[in-house]
Amino acid sequence: MKRGCLAILAILVPWAALAANPMSISEELDAVYSYVGDAHTRGAGLKSGEIDEQSADVKYVVSPQVNKDLLLRFGAEWERFSFDVPDHSAVPRLLQQASGVLGFDYQVADEWLMRVEVEPGIYGDFENINGRDFDAPLVIGGIYLASADVQWLLGIRVDVRCEYPVLPVAGVRWKLSDEWTLNFMLPSPRVEYQANDRLTLYTGAGIEAGTFATGETFGSDHGEPKLNGTIVDFFEFRLDAGASWKITPGVSIEAEAGYMPYREFDFFEPDLDVRSYNAPYGQIACHARF
Amino acid sequence: MTRRVACLFLALGAGCFLSVAAVPENSDPVEAIKSYSDFAAIDLGRVLNGDVLSERGSLMNFPNGISAQTCYAMALPADEAARHLQLWDPSAYSELKVFAFHALHMPCDPADFQTLDFQTRQKPVHWLLDKTVATTPARSELNLTRDEARQLAGCLSKQADPQRASKCWAKLLLARASAFQQQGLAGTTPYEVAGEIVSPADQLRNMLLEQLPISHEFLPILKGIGLLGKDAMPSLTPFYYWSLFDADYHGTISLGAVYLLPVGNHFQLIDLEYYVNANYYASASMYEVWPVQAQGKSMALVWRGDFFAAPTIRFTKGTERIAYGALMLQDIKKEIHCMQDEAKTKR
Repeated sequence: MKRGCLAILAILVPWAALAANPMSISEELDAVYSYVGDAHTRGAGLKSGEIDEQSADVKYVVSPQVNKDLLLRFGAEWERFSFDVPDHSAVPRLLQQASGVLGFDYQVADEWLMRVEVEPGIYGDFENINGRDFDAPLVIGGIYLASADVQWLLGIRVDVRCEYPVLPVAGVRWKLSDEWTLNFMLPSPRVEYQANDRLTLYTGAGIEAGTFATGETFGSDHGEPKLNGTIVDFFEFRLDAGASWKITPGVSIEAEAGYMPYREFDFFEPDLDVRSYNAPYGQIACHARF
Repeated sequence: MTRRVACLFLALGAGCFLSVAAVPENSDPVEAIKSYSDFAAIDLGRVLNGDVLSERGSLMNFPNGISAQTCYAMALPADEAARHLQLWDPSAYSELKVFAFHALHMPCDPADFQTLDFQTRQKPVHWLLDKTVATTPARSELNLTRDEARQLAGCLSKQADPQRASKCWAKLLLARASAFQQQGLAGTTPYEVAGEIVSPADQLRNMLLEQLPISHEFLPILKGIGLLGKDAMPSLTPFYYWSLFDADYHGTISLGAVYLLPVGNHFQLIDLEYYVNANYYASASMYEVWPVQAQGKSMALVWRGDFFAAPTIRFTKGTERIAYGALMLQDIKKEIHCMQDEAKTKR
């Protein structure tokens, strides 16, 4: 009568036991590509004109379950934002991340799950890579399982190179009915409508963000010498509508289109910023869980 | 029977001998429960004060299976608590979302299913009606044999008539309940889901065979109901029931049987859902009820193990699976609190 119904420790993993039980290892693969059309861009005392953007993100994580409450997370992520910019505009042509993923998921209490994840790697424009390009942003989050229908997310993101090194994160996933779900979880808060077992329609917002190092001659090359070797906080906000199609229970593809009202390149140390406004965009993604 | 299963049966046999030797009849209930359960420690004081101890089950090799264990007390003598668990009707508690719960006669007859009613404002029941109407002889999202799908499609003729759907389902359920009453688990006909043949009895056996200490402990009743061992036909007479409830916004009908067996100074129970018409395949709730004394009152110390087989479990991995297990425990605790409250009023 039942209804129904989280790295350093790597060397301590009992690999033999894991190998004996294939069920105790799970894998995640997420691949996303998006294109943002020409967006009017200005700032830093420069007329930058129209800029379009292509971005791609591929993240793979393998999670061996060490015991009933603890999963380790190992993986890699590559993310790239490339901008078709006019010469001498203070916008980097490329912002790129190539990092490892280390972390764990842990059940802290009956209703609390915790995730700690650090992504050490290179975050920059990939011109003259050196120690300044190394970063290791850290995310610490907790999910409160209020019920099968309501889960709360609370957390912080720590990145010592960012203008705001510690940022709070909060969200909620609230299943209102069999069809409707308020999935207000960052970075993609959405209202979802499950049309059938395979198709989910959604509308919401998306945030793309990161902190990157620019090259030692970036400023000189772009007519603004004080931007040489600076750190830039990149932020982009999107409004979207799309559809998610579950190909198999573990694999889904998504296609969405929308509007990018605001983008910012914040060179916060010399206190210069470049902003883009109003452009259409489209995105395709694939999410797999094995 | 594969060699692996044969070995497990042999292990069960040896374990039965060992458990008899290791756990004498009058042993401390707390020590007895610790000997086969996931509870490394049980604070009897907390339990007698109303706390429900809980442990999410560890991962199973069986891909559809998930389990959980709880330990709690009921304010009734052990024999009364055992009977209370056997006959408990959850439909009185709206938070449990059970729309209907009815006992079945032995042998069961059509009148037992007269109150099955799809004519309701409950949205989950509308979901079940929609899936029933969409059933064709060749395709159904419900747990049906080809023959049952043909019968259901022929009976309804694509008409979304709630009364007719109730009657059509009553006929199918009566046939399944009768077969179970006559043949036990051997009478549970496997059905087809997404091209796979699913046997609820095999789903239950596969889960229990991975839980050797628990299966050792419950061997008397498991053999008595024909779930493990050579006897296909149960030697125990259970309490038979059907219920209609909300499983994650989906209306679901189940047929179940609750077996009770006195074992020395304590009691063992198994609540088997031997047929579930949608969303999951089968479940077993196992109870061991021990007499304990608290402040001069006779009380019952209850260990409960829940074993649940569902197709979605196979695809729920990593952290999602931990979350799934935690949410399953929330539901079980909710049900236990209702049982405990009702037991207090009976005292």
